[in-house]
Amino acid sequence: MLAPNSDLMLVYAAFAVLAMFVASGLAAALHRRKNVAFLIGLPLLVIDTALFLSVFAGGSSTTLLGIFGMYPFSTLFAALFMASGTLIYLISYRYSNDFTGFSALFGFMLVGVIGVAASTSLVTTVVGIELVALSTVFMIILDGKSRVEPAVKLFILGAIAISVLLFAVAMVFSYNPSLLLSGFTAPGLTTGSYILTLAIILFVAGFSFEASLFPFNLWVPDVYQGAPTNITAMLAGMNKKVAFVAIMTTFFVLLSKYSATFSPIFELLAILTMFFGNIMAFVQKDVKRLFAYSSISQAGYILIGIAVADSFGIEASIVQIAAHMFMIIGAFSIVLWLESRGLRSIDDYSGLGYRSKFAGISLSIFMLSMAGVPPLLGFTGKLLLFSSAVDKGMLILAGLGILNSFMSIYYYGKVIGSMYSKKGVGSGKLFANGYIIAAVAVCLAVVVLFGLYPGPIIHAASEASLSLFGM
Amino acid sequence: MIPEFSIIFAALALGIVLAALLEKRFSYYIGIAATAIVLVVVLLIVAYEYVFGASVMAQTYAYIPQFGVHVSFIATPISTVLLTMTAVVLFAAALSSGKNGTSKGATVLMLLFGLAAIGLFSSSNLILFFIFWDVGVVATFFMISYMGSANRRSAALKFLVYSLGASAALLLGIILIYFGTPVHSFNIAYIISHGSLMPIGVQESIFVLLFVAFMIKMPIFPLHSWMADAYTESSTQGSMLISGVLSKFGAYGMLLLFLMMPIAAKYSTYILALAAISAFYAVLVAINQSDMKRLISYISMLDMSIILVGIASITVIGREGSIYGMLAHGLGIALLFLVAGSIEGMFGSRSIKFIRGVVEGSASAAYSFMLGIFSLTGVPLTVGFIADLLIFIGAFSAFGLYGLIPLGAILLAGGLLYLIVSRSIVNGRNGAEAPYLPTASQKAGYAVLLLFIFAFGMLPFILLKIIGS
Repeated sequence: MLAPNSDLMLVYAAFAVLAMFVASGLAAALHRRKNVAFLIGLPLLVIDTALFLSVFAGGSSTTLLGIFGMYPFSTLFAALFMASGTLIYLISYRYSNDFTGFSALFGFMLVGVIGVAASTSLVTTVVGIELVALSTVFMIILDGKSRVEPAVKLFILGAIAISVLLFAVAMVFSYNPSLLLSGFTAPGLTTGSYILTLAIILFVAGFSFEASLFPFNLWVPDVYQGAPTNITAMLAGMNKKVAFVAIMTTFFVLLSKYSATFSPIFELLAILTMFFGNIMAFVQKDVKRLFAYSSISQAGYILIGIAVADSFGIEASIVQIAAHMFMIIGAFSIVLWLESRGLRSIDDYSGLGYRSKFAGISLSIFMLSMAGVPPLLGFTGKLLLFSSAVDKGMLILAGLGILNSFMSIYYYGKVIGSMYSKKGVGSGKLFANGYIIAAVAVCLAVVVLFGLYPGPIIHAASEASLSLFGM
Repeated sequence: MIPEFSIIFAALALGIVLAALLEKRFSYYIGIAATAIVLVVVLLIVAYEYVFGASVMAQTYAYIPQFGVHVSFIATPISTVLLTMTAVVLFAAALSSGKNGTSKGATVLMLLFGLAAIGLFSSSNLILFFIFWDVGVVATFFMISYMGSANRRSAALKFLVYSLGASAALLLGIILIYFGTPVHSFNIAYIISHGSLMPIGVQESIFVLLFVAFMIKMPIFPLHSWMADAYTESSTQGSMLISGVLSKFGAYGMLLLFLMMPIAAKYSTYILALAAISAFYAVLVAINQSDMKRLISYISMLDMSIILVGIASITVIGREGSIYGMLAHGLGIALLFLVAGSIEGMFGSRSIKFIRGVVEGSASAAYSFMLGIFSLTGVPLTVGFIADLLIFIGAFSAFGLYGLIPLGAILLAGGLLYLIVSRSIVNGRNGAEAPYLPTASQKAGYAVLLLFIFAFGMLPFILLKIIGS
């Protein structure tokens, strides 16, 4: 469908603003002007979020340069990633050791993110994922010498993931010599053939590294804990979601006719990932590690919708991705700020609710939302996910998902209980700075307001999901 | 038409916001004002339904249009009774907390809890029911962990784990109901009228899931172990609300479950047995308690088991009895916890061994306690009498003489409570000192609860006419 001119102008404008952001980041990095980079970069990101949102609201579809497909699915995710990118940028300004270098790399990373979201060919997807992974590695290194270990871990895993992915691409390519995602026919590749099964497993494995699915997620806690917390927020809030978007486009556009083959794989992975994340989170003492494991379990929930493999399931996954994006970025913003005040473990957090009402209330809301307590956005996502599974007849998957979301209450409750115990009350009040407050306020607003009135976000997700299946 | 529900929710929401924003010294009055408005409006609803015999409804806006879920409220006959109970207990809790004993957080949480309870009892679909259920759980969790006594942290966590375990089962059950109904729907009235059309297997799974969820919340043996800690470690107002109102979340749900799933009739005998075991268990454990609040907790569990007997009888009269039982239990148990709080203040201890001669210190506390016990054990003229009478008529007609077995537990409890009254409440002081006396606000709380205990006990036809319509 050809887009009307005004919509096309918006698309061009959105990409132009993104290019401006990249250029400004590079210029700032060369001149080492931290404040200028922030003052120019932040408005650009906000404008770009608004532009992608209005492209999404326009609802039309178009293709740019043959490799960027702008249709509701991609524009919704572009807008979501831009919004979360804005928040990451906001909290990084104060806490990044080398903000100008971060800005430059962040520009590249965003290009990769948008590339994956708007990808119409396997090349775009793979290159986008690689761009995201490499930028992240350098962002971590830039923070200081102590960060080399997590950066190297991430780099090696990223390299393995990309080689596995390319192997999978090669297998599929030999049957259907086109790299475009849509129009995949491959008559020689029948359901049940070994090549197909192998290709699917390799695709799953490659994406699983980035999406932190079991058993490819053993790196997650080390890297999350070792990386600077603003990068950790980015890893959990953006990088992981990028991998999910890549999974959706690859499996539901390219390999959509083989859903009977990959659905059980995702079902199994969803169950294992949920249990792994939740069980490991039980024994954590460090808050950052706890959130690392809890975000693994959230990846498991998101996978439920993908395992369901119909438009309702994807709709549910999209809502849950959006919900977790804002919950985890908000939570890590607070963790970032508290870390700079020397609070790291659950014990350090005791009495926090009295020392800072802001931290106590907002962290409680984020954790309750992650646990799926209504009327918060996390509940909406889980309700849809479990409903989609029940609708498809996957009762065991839904039951285990609900069991897991109940298990998670225990460790979230432990942190909340610690925050409202009287032990650490005497240690004096804590006051957050404006950047943290602003980022947390946005996340809170999304989590609470869309939790109270989820209609619009569900509608948007269903439009995006339908457009994905219409590709 | 007057927008009753809008007024109630607006009053509570405004109260929450004002209490959070204004200084601490206003909190007490904000709490009283908001709950008083709620009480007045709820009594107006009662009057309206008594006169016109029609349900008060409010429909506002689409919540999740894709699922056909609307934010709409309805005061059905059952919910009208529970709304009355909730409004009275809320008002009594707000009134009795006293100017000095009220903090900003306490008022906010109390009003939030009230909002959840009123929303839950009047919600017209299961999604709203679930949302308010969880809001109530979270508000209670903070009520315990923010204001409770020494062991509140573990009590609060235990409560949270049990309650959200119940919500997990509830959520799965609700989703199954949605996809099991012929036209996918969350609407409670629709499910009640079309529940029998569901396949038997689906009905059975739904019944088991929801039964466990509501059993935890009531609580019924063997899933009760969160209860004594939560009731005991809460502040006085917290105990009043949790025991009086939160336990009705489970009882109300149980009642709805028996209406929604006709398959329940198949299990009614087993459920009667479970309720009887639960009742006797509660009394036998209560005998061993030396902590005043723990003892009252188990008496509360006994009464919830009796309510389950009424529900399980699946007769109209038994059901009406259980609805009346919820009213009686809510008012009576709140009164007992309030007096127990005053007594703890008087003696500095909750141990029955140290409490001697309450009547010499404060006649009002002593006699209120006795009247509360009268109501809980079903002495005529109190609201508890009507409830027990109807429940056991229903149980007798459904199960014959076996239905009367749980009465034995009530008799045992009566004996136990009589001993406690004679040892601790009305006998001489024997040197034990009571330096503090109940405050005027606490006495006002007694008065409110007693007023309604006797009003609904002597004039049962008001609510029974509404229930019967």
